[in-house]
Amino acid sequence: MRRCAHIKNFLALAGLLLAVAACAQFKGLPNLPSSHPEQLAAGPVSCAECHEDQQKGTMKPFAAFNHTQTFIKNHRFYAATDDVLCATCHKTSFCADCHSNLAAMKPSLKYGNRPDRMMPHRGDFLTLHKIEGKLDPASCYRCHGRANNERCVVCHH
Amino acid sequence: MKKMLCRLVPAILIAGLPALAFAEGSVDSTTIMRFQQEAQSPVPDSGTRGLAPLTEFLGVDYSSGNFSVHAYGWGTAQLGDPKPTTDGNETLQGSLNYGYLQYRFDQANARARAGRIFINEGVVNEQVDGASFRTDLPYGFGFSAFGGATVHTINIPHANSDGKGDGIAGGRLNYRLAGKLELGLSGVTESKRPVQPTGTPTVLQGAYGSHRLIGADVWLSPLNMVQLSGHSSYNTQTDRFAEHSYLLQLTPLKNLVLAGSYDHHRDRDYFYSSALFSGTDFLKNLSQESRVLGGSATYTIQKVEISCDFKDYRRDIGEAERFGGELRGYFADNSVRSGFGYHYLRAGSEFAVVPNVPNTSGSFHELRGWAMHETKGYFASLDLIGYLFDKPVENRDSAWEAQGSLGYHLTTDLALSGDLSYGQNPQYRDDFKGLVRLTYNLTAGKGATK
Repeated sequence: MRRCAHIKNFLALAGLLLAVAACAQFKGLPNLPSSHPEQLAAGPVSCAECHEDQQKGTMKPFAAFNHTQTFIKNHRFYAATDDVLCATCHKTSFCADCHSNLAAMKPSLKYGNRPDRMMPHRGDFLTLHKIEGKLDPASCYRCHGRANNERCVVCHH
Repeated sequence: MKKMLCRLVPAILIAGLPALAFAEGSVDSTTIMRFQQEAQSPVPDSGTRGLAPLTEFLGVDYSSGNFSVHAYGWGTAQLGDPKPTTDGNETLQGSLNYGYLQYRFDQANARARAGRIFINEGVVNEQVDGASFRTDLPYGFGFSAFGGATVHTINIPHANSDGKGDGIAGGRLNYRLAGKLELGLSGVTESKRPVQPTGTPTVLQGAYGSHRLIGADVWLSPLNMVQLSGHSSYNTQTDRFAEHSYLLQLTPLKNLVLAGSYDHHRDRDYFYSSALFSGTDFLKNLSQESRVLGGSATYTIQKVEISCDFKDYRRDIGEAERFGGELRGYFADNSVRSGFGYHYLRAGSEFAVVPNVPNTSGSFHELRGWAMHETKGYFASLDLIGYLFDKPVENRDSAWEAQGSLGYHLTTDLALSGDLSYGQNPQYRDDFKGLVRLTYNLTAGKGATK
């Protein structure tokens, strides 16, 4: 019984020391800047052009975030784990242009003057969604899943 | 409620504008006036309805010290004939996408947010009225948590619910190792989904359930030229995996990116908490599984990007393939950009617009070409997109659209532009649309975001 109490005390002390050590380490954990310190170039960005070999601590290499076509088409993997880094260059509204619970219009209509940007549902998607929806419904669900979009429920109920 | 929100949100955002003069921040406003005419019925000469919706998108970001406020929303006023919606003929609509107060701590990328927030952490992707906190922890660990009220959307017609519970909470714990590895565990739990009162006529068949997921994500880069990203989610309500989604990227040369992807979804488990996908007859066979294998190669020669891609779709109802390529160019200091793409989807009649009927097919060719030019004064763009169907859809062999845009920077912050588009497709014999767009982007203080 007494031995058990000693073990408990020891574990409590070790836990306390670990917590104190962890708190002391916090000051060594730097912040990313809240915004990019310099003007960003127009068009797609290659982070590694300026940030070559600047990977520090647990940060991922900047080259991993080069905005290649592969990165842009699969940006969901990065947004789900590195939104602090995304926020250095992008406002949240950049995401909300496409990802919103209730959309005012197709993003490609809002940005009709930006054909270079990847925008979903360009052209006659009203016809095409009847094919694409059967082909890969999960791709619809990622954005429309639980939003009950008004235009969907007109026909789909 | 919507009308009140529509007036209140822009008023609050505009009221904050003078404060920008004294702190860091930005205001982004896009006002769009659309002009279009829609046939009210497929029967010829049965009358048309003139639509002229005026939409204002407004975003405000304002920071002072460690505190900052971020809000973004839109409101639409229907100036032409009222457009019928599921809530009736509404002339005013609006939505607050997000609006939150943030405190940014001085270390560890720690931040706390309160208000309407988007959560995108691991397998969690939610809009919440509540609070969130995230921080890096010593020894490579990280932690985030959120909780609050679910943001409800419109109800499913003929049901008194949108299928969501009222409360939601979740978070993510992650571990990072020297820029080589990240592992994450995340989860979300929503309070029990609403039950329709007995005897209420409803289209919801009760096939959907509460929103509760756990998941794991990984990012691995053992060598600079290799990256593996992905996640798996597990539905704790159905006790089965809902999704596996993984991407492998190889960069054998500085200008060459090779990628392979694998996506596997179980419809019953993935769509389980969606009243629309799972509770109605939206997806008629929820016992299906989907497997999509993809591959792509992108090569960059100076300012020209060439890519080709391939996808293999396997569902219980059939199999299909899509392949094609794209050429993109960025010239004259990125002020001239252009691109051309071609893709072909080979899909059987099981994927056709009207499936499993003789002489139908889901196959089509997609062609797109675009170009844009932007100077300090004017900007212009042209976008052509066409689809050639293997078998006619609604007696049409193709669908196409041409869109042109021309604009002028009135000042550094203010731009006026107009778009015109014309197309023909199975839905509309003549689809002629136009809009006028006024964009105002004011940034005060240091730094840059876009």
